[in-house]
Amino acid sequence: MSRGALAGIRVIELGEGVSAAFCAKLFADYGALVVKVEPPGRGDVTRTWGPFPGDVPHPEKSGTYFFLNTSKKSVALDLEVGADLARVRELIAGADVLIENLPVSELERYGLDPASVAALNPALVMISITPFGHTGPYAGWRGHDLNAYHLSGASHRYCGRPGEAPLEHGTFAADFFGAMTAAAWGLAAVLGRERVGSGQHLDVSSAEAIAAAFVGGQNIGGYAQDGKWERRTGVGMPLGAPATILPCADGHVWMLALEPGQWNGLVEVMGDPEWAQLDMFQDMFQRAQNSDVIYPFIEEWLADKSKFDVMARCQAAGVPVTAVFLVGEAAEQEHLKERGYLVTLDHPDLGRVRTLGAPFKLPASPGGPSRGAPRLGEHTAEVPASGSEGRRQGVPPVRRRFRRSAPRACRSRASASPTSAGCGRARWWARRWVSSAPRSSRSSRGRGST
Amino acid sequence: MTRQLPPFGEGVRDPNRSLSNHACWAGQGSVTLNLKKPEARRLALDLVATCDVVIENFGPGVMNELELGYDALRRVRPDLVMFSMPAAGLTGPMKDIRTYGLSLTSTTGLDSLVGYLGGPPIPVENAFSDPLNGIFGAFAILTALHHRAATGQGQHIDYSQQEAVMQLVGPAFLDWELNRREGGPLGNRHPRAMAAPHGVFPCSGDDRWISIACSSDAEWKALAAAMGSPAWSAAAGLGSIAGRLAHLDAIHEHVAAWTQGQDVNALAATLQAAGVAAAPVLSVADLLHDPHLTARGTFVEVTHPLGFRETIYGAYVKMSVSQPAVRTGPMIGQDNERVFREILGLSDERYQALVDAQIIF
Repeated sequence: MSRGALAGIRVIELGEGVSAAFCAKLFADYGALVVKVEPPGRGDVTRTWGPFPGDVPHPEKSGTYFFLNTSKKSVALDLEVGADLARVRELIAGADVLIENLPVSELERYGLDPASVAALNPALVMISITPFGHTGPYAGWRGHDLNAYHLSGASHRYCGRPGEAPLEHGTFAADFFGAMTAAAWGLAAVLGRERVGSGQHLDVSSAEAIAAAFVGGQNIGGYAQDGKWERRTGVGMPLGAPATILPCADGHVWMLALEPGQWNGLVEVMGDPEWAQLDMFQDMFQRAQNSDVIYPFIEEWLADKSKFDVMARCQAAGVPVTAVFLVGEAAEQEHLKERGYLVTLDHPDLGRVRTLGAPFKLPASPGGPSRGAPRLGEHTAEVPASGSEGRRQGVPPVRRRFRRSAPRACRSRASASPTSAGCGRARWWARRWVSSAPRSSRSSRGRGST
Repeated sequence: MTRQLPPFGEGVRDPNRSLSNHACWAGQGSVTLNLKKPEARRLALDLVATCDVVIENFGPGVMNELELGYDALRRVRPDLVMFSMPAAGLTGPMKDIRTYGLSLTSTTGLDSLVGYLGGPPIPVENAFSDPLNGIFGAFAILTALHHRAATGQGQHIDYSQQEAVMQLVGPAFLDWELNRREGGPLGNRHPRAMAAPHGVFPCSGDDRWISIACSSDAEWKALAAAMGSPAWSAAAGLGSIAGRLAHLDAIHEHVAAWTQGQDVNALAATLQAAGVAAAPVLSVADLLHDPHLTARGTFVEVTHPLGFRETIYGAYVKMSVSQPAVRTGPMIGQDNERVFREILGLSDERYQALVDAQIIF
């Protein structure tokens, strides 16, 4: 079986909820070895979120947990317990990447703040994903996905009716956006370690990422120069028409026909109605100015039509109209089945579960979920007790690699205490789960054993 | 195309002055080639031979029509990572689907979840999927580069924007799988009904709102105390999440009546001090003045080569060692001489001939 593209990368995941888990899942599904640390007894909070089969709560049957944690290992260790914390620190000392979403105050309490972690493992890439980030006046604030999304400007600008509440995106949109952003920048930092001579810390604020890349990108330049800014209208694209979601017989369609060819195509699909020849409908801007006239006309036409029929006929005429798929309709579409997007995995408690597969296809090194989500603490026994692995076993290979190229970053190793910076964890990682170990680690292990 | 979008720097309509998209191109170079001409395609191939990655977002098959498909590129650069990101992937019955960025999400189920509780879907008014796919596409490319570093092997990444965005629907998808239940618009409620109250509430001023999310009983107690422990908040059953969910509409009305008339920033600070997750809902204008984003340098002012100052987003992830230096987006063709003469080694005469023939233009 082909190994995943990220085989050889060792990841520790700390924290709860969506953002860190989804970021780490992306690494795991593409072949990295990901060890998720969960509190014993209760586990990650998403184990309580469901959906559960038949709505019967069970810590091993949460659909949200299952989706977010495929291809990972779970170790149950309590950061509040000294011996467990020491084992976590040993795992971190031998890892390539730490992905976490703990509040800054908790990181400090556990001695896992970025400076302490860098002293423990200078080659580590530490990825922190929080709603607001580690610096700035809101750094100590409590926050959830909802707070982050609404702080980004996305809802006020782009979602909801005027005069009514701005809306979230219908899912954990900030957590997901932050996680994908963190995965991209974090993997760049992993690949760039040799070049910069060390690991580093990445401070990802999910609110800031959306504020910058989604909202700021197209709004902030004009506002800074001209002082003009806009807010949500409740319409898809208020400057052109048709460009909105409209109801039809069995649901809704995204009605878009802006360019002349698209509009002409739509008129043809609608059977060339007389009203469409009116002067006020001859370009997208005029149509938008007369949206109170044109949208009722189109709605009338849609009233007895099925959304997938409208989509098929419009697409065939070159008009970019799509059905608003319900989740089940999206799940069952033939296109995704033919592309093999959906994968079925075995799970000891859930049975056979179908879930979303690889978000992109790598022909030479296929990715996607390879195992169902782990049971709570399923792999705890594989982690040695603190200090049980030999200090006799030499310097971890990752740090060896950096010794020559990174004098400045690695100088801090000297300041780490002998117990915290004890040796052999990377060797332990490599030996323990050798199927995921990188070539470089294997060869380093050979050298290290002399 | 996006070079034509207003507003423009200093109000001068010019493809080098579109303010709306410079941030996306920050730090990039630009060359101009008329790919309809065979000599231009040869130059493109020569350039690809010097590159690690090719990124394109045409529809499936367009690169092949340009004779710049993966097989052609691989011949000149065997370990190339080619990244194609069409709307619905390179294969499958829907591969030629026409969508805009803002409607692509409708094919994933995501749009069916956005709206007020029990109401119709409300369109998100810009393409959330565009920046998401750009950023996440970088992750895809980096995975392939990691594979190349280990094996020497390049590959052609088939990145379906639909499939990447559909990941955001994961929890709702599992509800379909496990219970055959379709989700729908929930307003600002928690997607898994695990927090209450959970919404945005009006404050004083024009279109001012605060977000408040209580994911634990402790947060709820803190909120109730901050509100002055009104009698309604002490009602039996509200101490548990299940009880609060059962009376969520009434709770939200009470909270809104309390927030109304309060200053949003002062209220957020008060609630945070009390241990409640609360934050202002920012407008576009707020983004530039919010003290937190200002302190983090989310937006930066840079000087464009044409001399005007413009504000773009800076490095929105903070890296402790290799923080990128953010520059303005490129002028059209600003790197033609450097690329074609210095990197590809064209002679002065040859370069000028290609410019005169409008192959480089």
